[in-house]
Amino acid sequence: MKFLESLYIKVFVSIVVEKEASDVYISIYSKNKLIDSYEESYDTNSIDEKMISFIKSYTKETPYFYISILDNSKNQGAIPTCSKNLMSNYHDMSESTHKCQNSQWTHFTSKNDLYDIERKYQDIGIDFIFSPFSVLSNFFKDKIDGPIGVFVLLQGESISLSVFENSELIYAQHLDMNIIQDTEEFETIDTVQDIMMEGEDDGIDLDSVEADEEMDSLDDFGDIEDLDDLDDIDDFDKTEDVEEEFYQESDGVPEQESEETFNEDYQRFTHIQKSIHNFYEDSNYDSEFLENIYIADAVGVTSELKRYFEEELFMNVYIRQIALTTEVSELAVSEVLT
Amino acid sequence: MKYSYIAPRTKTVFTPEVKLMLTFFSITIFMLLSTYAFLLFKEYTFLSDLKSIQKSQSQLQTDLSKMKDDIVFIQKENDLAKSIQTKNLVLKDSITNLFDLVPQRITLSQAKLDTNSLVLYGITPNKDIYNFMLGAPLRSIFHRTYSSFYPVGNGWLRFVSTNYTDDDLPTLEGEADNEN
Repeated sequence: MKFLESLYIKVFVSIVVEKEASDVYISIYSKNKLIDSYEESYDTNSIDEKMISFIKSYTKETPYFYISILDNSKNQGAIPTCSKNLMSNYHDMSESTHKCQNSQWTHFTSKNDLYDIERKYQDIGIDFIFSPFSVLSNFFKDKIDGPIGVFVLLQGESISLSVFENSELIYAQHLDMNIIQDTEEFETIDTVQDIMMEGEDDGIDLDSVEADEEMDSLDDFGDIEDLDDLDDIDDFDKTEDVEEEFYQESDGVPEQESEETFNEDYQRFTHIQKSIHNFYEDSNYDSEFLENIYIADAVGVTSELKRYFEEELFMNVYIRQIALTTEVSELAVSEVLT
Repeated sequence: MKYSYIAPRTKTVFTPEVKLMLTFFSITIFMLLSTYAFLLFKEYTFLSDLKSIQKSQSQLQTDLSKMKDDIVFIQKENDLAKSIQTKNLVLKDSITNLFDLVPQRITLSQAKLDTNSLVLYGITPNKDIYNFMLGAPLRSIFHRTYSSFYPVGNGWLRFVSTNYTDDDLPTLEGEADNEN
């Protein structure tokens, strides 16, 4: 059978669903080498005839094709244990399915959402469903084995946030921007607009900005005035990831932003900020100070987001562009070919 | 599975299309093999029949040859029989002629007819009657004729006439020997 298998090419189809669009990436492997790849985008968050036709035009060439999809369930996450006894401390797994990673941490998702995905794509069939946390850990595999840091995957409708230290998951949370937006959208936008309007007059007067819950949380990080010891500042500098900064400068992050992207970036910032606040507050986790944040950007954030983290959370921000479809495809390849 | 929540579907090269193709190939190969086996069987039976026929042919040829020999032998026998018949007829005629030769006055008591000889025993009143009436014709028929007389009590003579011919008549045994 292995001999017969080696005679065929292998086709990996990866699907990433974003808001009202779906990206389909097809990579073709022959003898474990990538020989070709194709990508198409469709204006649907489900599956339509064109997408089926596009996928089947490649999958019909070989019986060895694998269709993978990135899980976009709202009820997913990751926890820092593989022990079934300890899982309940973090999440009720009765309605979820989970997968242990490196015998150290576990990512989980809703069983019903998995069934929904399989039912939705039953015309083409699904072979792999990957968690964004798998994508994140794989994408930053060169960084998660280092000192503690926040690793964030930014998607159109969700944010996957995790904290790793020496390849060990400390904390993770999957944030659905739509759900939180419903309750906080207006308040958030008003606050941002207030800041912008006041800034236009005579600079930002921090005292005049009304302190909301998010702003209060900044107090937990300590007052800037408390940082009177210059040695502490030097310690911060030592934690900077010089190599990552170099790559980031060469990649570049868009400077110009529209009002829409500005709002979205601020929303993302507030969500991440709230999640980090939870990390500090939750007694389940050791509240170690987070200095570096690595962002895998799949949506195209602006430099404003970076500025928020630097100015308001005093974090070193490193943004890498990520092609989610390619990353999902790489996970599928590693499942099959290794 | 290291990362995925679900395991991939089983992949096999035996897709429905391949299965259909293999089915057709299998049927075709089966039919070809069946035909080949049938042809092998027919060839075997043909060769077997051929051997049988060749054996039969050989037997028939042997029989034919034997029959030809028999025919030749029978023909020769027929010829011989005809020859003998002819000779017998000739002999019969000769005997008839012989008894016709014997005059009224001479009485034959015994006659020995051999292949190339004739021995006559009888009584004659005298030698002249014998010489003129019987000896003369005998001499004309046979190449060598010998006569001897001895007297009987009443004056008559008992005679013994031995006659030979030099031309040997063919005999059956002699013919058979010549054939071989």
